[in-house]
Amino acid sequence: MLGIDDPQIWIAYVLCFLSAIGCIIYGAIKWNDGQDEEAC
Amino acid sequence: MAVDTSILGIAVLIYMIIVFYLGWLGYKQTKDTDDYMLAGRKINPLVLALSYGAAFISTSAIIGFGGYAGAFGMGVLWLVFMNIFVGIFIAFVLFGSRTRRMGVNLGAVTFPELIGRRFQSRFIQGFSGALITVFMPLYAGSVLIGGARFMETALNIQYNNAVLILAIIVAAYVITGGLIAVMYTDALQGGLMFIGMIILFVLTYSRLGGVVEAHQSLTSMAYLVPENLAAIGHTGWTSMPEFGSDIWWTLVSTIILGVGIGVLAQPQLAVRFMTVRNTRSLKRAVLSGGPFIFMMAGVAYIVGALSNVYFLDTRGMISLDAAGGNIDLIIPEYINSAMPDYFVVFFLLTLLAAAMSTLSSQFHTMGTAIGHDFYREFVMKGKTTKTISITRVGIAITILISVVLAYILPIGIIARATAIFFGLCAAAFLPMYTGALFWKRMNRSGATASLLVGTFGSIFWLTFVHAKEASALGISRALFGVDTILTGTWTLVDPILVATPLAIITAIVVSLATKPDSQEHIEMCFQK
Repeated sequence: MLGIDDPQIWIAYVLCFLSAIGCIIYGAIKWNDGQDEEAC
Repeated sequence: MAVDTSILGIAVLIYMIIVFYLGWLGYKQTKDTDDYMLAGRKINPLVLALSYGAAFISTSAIIGFGGYAGAFGMGVLWLVFMNIFVGIFIAFVLFGSRTRRMGVNLGAVTFPELIGRRFQSRFIQGFSGALITVFMPLYAGSVLIGGARFMETALNIQYNNAVLILAIIVAAYVITGGLIAVMYTDALQGGLMFIGMIILFVLTYSRLGGVVEAHQSLTSMAYLVPENLAAIGHTGWTSMPEFGSDIWWTLVSTIILGVGIGVLAQPQLAVRFMTVRNTRSLKRAVLSGGPFIFMMAGVAYIVGALSNVYFLDTRGMISLDAAGGNIDLIIPEYINSAMPDYFVVFFLLTLLAAAMSTLSSQFHTMGTAIGHDFYREFVMKGKTTKTISITRVGIAITILISVVLAYILPIGIIARATAIFFGLCAAAFLPMYTGALFWKRMNRSGATASLLVGTFGSIFWLTFVHAKEASALGISRALFGVDTILTGTWTLVDPILVATPLAIITAIVVSLATKPDSQEHIEMCFQK
């Protein structure tokens, strides 16, 4: 996969992309989420 | 250096002017303790994400770990995954929201103060502050050395002067502008780093003929692994080291787990969760934080590993040989030879930004630890001068210590400084910090015992067992005549795998065996 034979490496490679994309999706979905509480 | 020093000089000058402008903005906006210590608790999510990432990723993460990938291959990509999943997602969503809320409930302005107030213990606050004061200068010293070495080679400034210049510039805006200045400049530096790494990523793959082609070329190079590295587990640049080998243990225990999990309990990062207005800001920050870390760490390690293909094509040798056997020179050598001149200038600025952003947050955290947590709250029991003034003095003192360390420490120990600090934080702070946020039954006795066991367990293992630090420190040899008191695989196991579990068990056993903290106090800590 992706020119890499060892699954222990390509899985890590793919997970890096997926986790970064996951963060984007999570942030976008929760953009207006939750309480509007003030800090002080 | 391939580029004209005058062009680089002008670029650095423009960059410095903007940094000072942001430092001045921080100074103008700082009106009270919350502003100086926590940037007024109203930082924008994008600034938080960039600042967190820029403080997290130092020059040594790009050059040092990138070079490590050049020498040992892509196994280190597991650290990138940990950095994004644990260091951003778990950190912001689970730890961040609770840290922020409890920080507000308890009126805490530093990481040690948050833990100290949760467990109603000045000892915990003072001891944590002292621990940061003693060990963080090691880490800051190594970042300072990285930045100064860059200035030495790129700008032709003598090393000793470079250390001083860098320290004075960062000190100027940290001391005057507090955390607002630190976070604004971090965000600028993070932005520069992001652009620099994107260009590096695209140029590298296009130069090597595309993603799959580049990887295939690297995979087919496995037969070029030097014999001495193959003997300790190196199997190629696109495969994991042999299970249980020397390289495997270092990669998995020190790098992937040590740095990957240790990040959760880094005081200079955890304090940032208290700088935002609400939980929503933390969730929004995840959006930019994940890709940012990918672009920093992921790109550095992928490019580091792929540099082997470039050097084989152009010089018929692997990266380690192209860099004269010095891992830290692999990335600079690759950038200088493979990248166009305009990018070399930009990348040097990227590295300077990476060093400065990490340094500024370290200086601020060390200053608050010695000035506010240790001196004001622990020694003087809170009955002395204003937090801001005492913190400013604290920052000045710790900068001085870091500068002295940058001059006197041997190279061998400097290379270990980041790992030592991360491991120590994981063992000393992580069980106590996690318990403080998620386990209402955890009490003062459990936290104190866990802090002490984690700290001294970690220090013991570093000094007497873990070969890399123990032999560099030389204390074990001086006392017992041997580099390490245990032998075999034990000497490869990172302190984090020993001291952190011990501290977790201690926290649970001691908390359950002693009286719970008052219900009233717990409710106050956890109220929404």
